[in-house]
Amino acid sequence: MVSGHVGCAGCGAAIAMRFFLQALGNQAIMVMPACCWSIIAGSYPMSSLRIPLIHTAFETGGAVASGVRAALDMKGDTQTTVVTWAGDGGTFDIGFQALSGAVERNEDFIYVCYDNEAYMNTGVQRSSSTPYGAWTTTTPGREWKRMRKKNIVEALVAHRIPYAATASIAYPQDLMAKVAKAKAIKGSRFLHIFASCPTGWRIPSELSVKIARMAVQTNIFPLYEVENGVKYTINLSPKGYLVREYFKLQGRFKHLSDQDLSEIQNMVNEDWNLLLRKAGLPQVQGEHM
Amino acid sequence: MKAKNNSIRLPERLLISRSYTTSESNKTGSWRYLMPRYYEKTAPCSVACPAAEDIGRIQMLNTQGFFKEAWDTILVENPFPAVCGRICFHPCEKVCNRGRFDEAVSIRALERFVADTAQRYKLTSGIEPMAFTGKRIAVVGAGPAGLAAAHFLHLLGYDCHVFEALPEPGGILRWGLPRYRLPLAALQPEIERIRNSGVSIYCGQAVGRDFLHSAGETYGAVFMACGAQRMPLLRIPGEDLPGISEGLAFLCSVAQGGGPGFQGTAAVIGGGNTAVDVARCLRRLGARAMIIYRRRREDMPAFAEEIELALLEGVELLELYAPIRIEKEGNGLRLTLQQMKIGAMGADGRMRVVPDENRIRELTVDQVFKAIGFEAAEPWHVPEAGAVSHLKLRQAVLTQGANSVPVVYCGDPVTEIQSVVHAVASAKEGAMALHVLLTGGTAAVAETLAAAAVGPGGSLSMEAFLKGERLNRSSHVVAYEEINIDHFQYAPRMIQPRLLQAERVASFAEIDLKISAGMAIREAERCFNCGLCNQCDNCRLFCPDLAVRQEDSKRGRRIDYDYCKGCGICVVECPRNAMVLEEEQDS
Repeated sequence: MVSGHVGCAGCGAAIAMRFFLQALGNQAIMVMPACCWSIIAGSYPMSSLRIPLIHTAFETGGAVASGVRAALDMKGDTQTTVVTWAGDGGTFDIGFQALSGAVERNEDFIYVCYDNEAYMNTGVQRSSSTPYGAWTTTTPGREWKRMRKKNIVEALVAHRIPYAATASIAYPQDLMAKVAKAKAIKGSRFLHIFASCPTGWRIPSELSVKIARMAVQTNIFPLYEVENGVKYTINLSPKGYLVREYFKLQGRFKHLSDQDLSEIQNMVNEDWNLLLRKAGLPQVQGEHM
Repeated sequence: MKAKNNSIRLPERLLISRSYTTSESNKTGSWRYLMPRYYEKTAPCSVACPAAEDIGRIQMLNTQGFFKEAWDTILVENPFPAVCGRICFHPCEKVCNRGRFDEAVSIRALERFVADTAQRYKLTSGIEPMAFTGKRIAVVGAGPAGLAAAHFLHLLGYDCHVFEALPEPGGILRWGLPRYRLPLAALQPEIERIRNSGVSIYCGQAVGRDFLHSAGETYGAVFMACGAQRMPLLRIPGEDLPGISEGLAFLCSVAQGGGPGFQGTAAVIGGGNTAVDVARCLRRLGARAMIIYRRRREDMPAFAEEIELALLEGVELLELYAPIRIEKEGNGLRLTLQQMKIGAMGADGRMRVVPDENRIRELTVDQVFKAIGFEAAEPWHVPEAGAVSHLKLRQAVLTQGANSVPVVYCGDPVTEIQSVVHAVASAKEGAMALHVLLTGGTAAVAETLAAAAVGPGGSLSMEAFLKGERLNRSSHVVAYEEINIDHFQYAPRMIQPRLLQAERVASFAEIDLKISAGMAIREAERCFNCGLCNQCDNCRLFCPDLAVRQEDSKRGRRIDYDYCKGCGICVVECPRNAMVLEEEQDS
C-alpha cells in the first residue's frame, strides 16, 4: 500500500488495509466488491495497492473469489492467497448470499469485512451492520435506527468454517496475528475488522483509533475468534468502560437519551454474556462489565 | 486468428481496464488544514526537581539499558546521583503523572541504581567541559553546595580551588548524615570524580573574612558555600546545663566512629531531619530516644519517610510539646514541657501552635540533644549589606563590592529549603549567573537564566544553559489528562528491598539494599516519559496515509507533508504527548 489514496482524513478502513497487508504479504490477489475501498484505491489508472486487485460488482465478493481461486488452482498456484475485501454493505446485505454460498462450499480464501457500520461512500445510508441507536441519512432525526446490528460473525460461525475472527484497527498486534493465523489455514476464513469512519460517525478524525479502541473496551465490539464453528477464544479482557462514554463522543448518537443509553448498555451486557457463555466463561453482572 | 470460420472475432488480448501507476502522484497533503508535528514537552518531575534532572529521558535510557548515558544525563544537572539517589526527599515522585494511574515511579531508587552501576564499573563521565576561560575561582567550603559549584564551574570552563576547614571534603554529607542513610563508600567516589575532573580541593584550610577582600589578587570570583552549622538558642532556662549537646556535633562524632554508647534515655528537641537522624543514631547506640516537637508529626520538616522509619526503629515521638525549662535532677535532667494545641493557619500555610492553657508535663532523661535548625556560623557567610551590586536569585545571591571580585553565596544560608538537592540547585544557579556576569555583564543574568529554566517552576537546566537539546522542548508541562493511558498497563511500583527491621538498629549498615538491573529496567519501563519521544512508533503505525516515514535520524521518523492529510491520529495516539496538532499556516 502506498500514499496518495483518497480515503478521508482519519479513515479507519485505510488503517485496516495497512495492517492486513503488512501481515499477509504481497503474494495475494484481492477481490473488491463495491465499497469505500473501491474509491480509496484510486481512480484509473492509479492504484494505491501493490497487489492485483479486481474491482467487481456489489453482490459478487464470494463468487468472484471462488472463481479466482479455481483459476489459480488450475494453474497449479497454491501459494497465492485469494482475499475478498468488502465493506459491511457488501457483506451483511448485498453480498451476503454469495458469501454464504462460498463459505458453505468452504472455498479456500480469506473474506475480510472492514466494518464502518453504514454505506459510507454513497453518503451514509444505514446497513444491517448499523448499530441500534445510530443516525444515518436513511434513519434521520427521530427515525434513528431501532434494529440491532446483525451479528455477522455468528452467521459465519453457523457455516462451521475453519476460522472466523473479529479484529480492530486499535489493536494492530491482535489484528496482524489473526491475519497470520488465517493465512496458514486452508478453507474459508472470515475476518470482521472494526474500522471507524470519522465522516459517517460524526467524530473528529484524530479520534478514529481511540473510538475503535473504546468499542472494544466497552464490549460493544469484543475481540474473539472461533475455530471450526465451535472453539471460542476471547482475545482481550476489556477494562470495562461504560457504553455511554463511547456514545457521547460520536455525533451519530447525540440524540440518544439516558434511558436509551441504559437500554443499549443492557443489550451490550446481554451480548457479552452470550459470548462468555459460548467461550465457556462465567457470566458477569452489573452495569460495569 | 485460429477461428477463421467463426463469425465472432475475439480480440488478441482481454480488454480489461488495468491500472498501471501508483496513487503516489496524488499529493493528498493539499487537503490538510491541521498540521501535526513532533514537539517535545516538559515532564512534571523535571520541573519539581530543584536540580531539573531530565528524569523522563533518564528512564528512557534506563529502559534500553543505557545506564552510562543515563548517568551522564544526571551528571550534567547534578554531580551527586549516588547521594541524592539515597537521601533526596524526591519532590519529583510527588508530581509523577504515573501516580494518578497507579503509583509513582520510584525515581530516587533508579537514580541510586544508575549511580551505583557507574561506581561498580568505575565509569568515567563522558561530559566534555567547555574550553578553559583562563579564569580561576575560589570556592569556600567543600560541602554539597561548594563541591557542586566546583563541578558546574569546571563544566563552564573555570579552574576551581576549593577551601575546606575540616580535614576531609564532603561537609554535611560526610559529617552530618548517618551512614545507614549514606555510606561513605557511596559518597567517596562522587567527591573523587569531582577532584579527578581537575578541581583542586584544599582541606584543613580555614578561610577568614579578609579572604573576600584579598581573593581578587588570585581569583576572578569567590563562591561562598559555608553551609549553616550554628544552632540557634532554644531561649529557655537551663539549656546550657552539662548533658545537653547539639545534634549536629553528636552526628559528627558518630560519623567519626565515636559516639558515646549508653543505655539511658535521651530526649531530642526538634522536628527536622537532624532531630530524626540523632534519634535513630541513639537507638543504634543502645539508647531509648524520644523526639520532642512543638507541632504535629505532619508539620515536621523532616521527610515523612524518615519519620516512618524512625518510628519503626523504636524512636518515640512526643508531638505538641514545647520545652520551657531544663533542670538538673540527680544524674539526669528534668524537662518541663508545655502541652501545645493547634491554633490558626499561619501566613506560610503552616498551622500555628499555642500553649494549651497550663497543661504541663515533666520528663526525666539522661541526656538532651538540641536539633532545632541551623543558621550560618559567621555573619560574613551570608551576603553582606552595602555591596555595590546585589543580585538576589532564586537560590543564590550574587554581590560585587566597589573594589572586589564578584562573590556568589550559595547553599543552606540562601536556599528556600535546606536540602542537598537545593544546595546543588543553588550552586548551579550561582555558577550560571557568575558565568553570565563575567561574559555578558549583570544585565544579561536574568534573561539568560530564564532561558535555561525548565517549565514554570524555576528549576534551571545546565544542559539548556549549554544550548543542548533540552532547549528545543516546549516549557508546557504535560498533565496526566494529556497522557494516552490506553497504551499503558497497570504495574505496581517496585518494592525497595531493605534490611530486616531487627537488623536495622543493630548496626549503621545501609538500610536500603541494592536492586538488580532487571528490576531497575522494569521500574523505568513504568515511566510515561511525559512529553518525550521514546520512538514507540505509534505515529507511524497508525497513520492511515503512510505519511510518517522512517529515516536515518535521531528521531528515526519524519512526517511526509506531501501526503499527510492532517487527520491528527498520530498526535492522539502518541502515548506521551510528544506531538502537537496545529492550524496549517498559509504558505
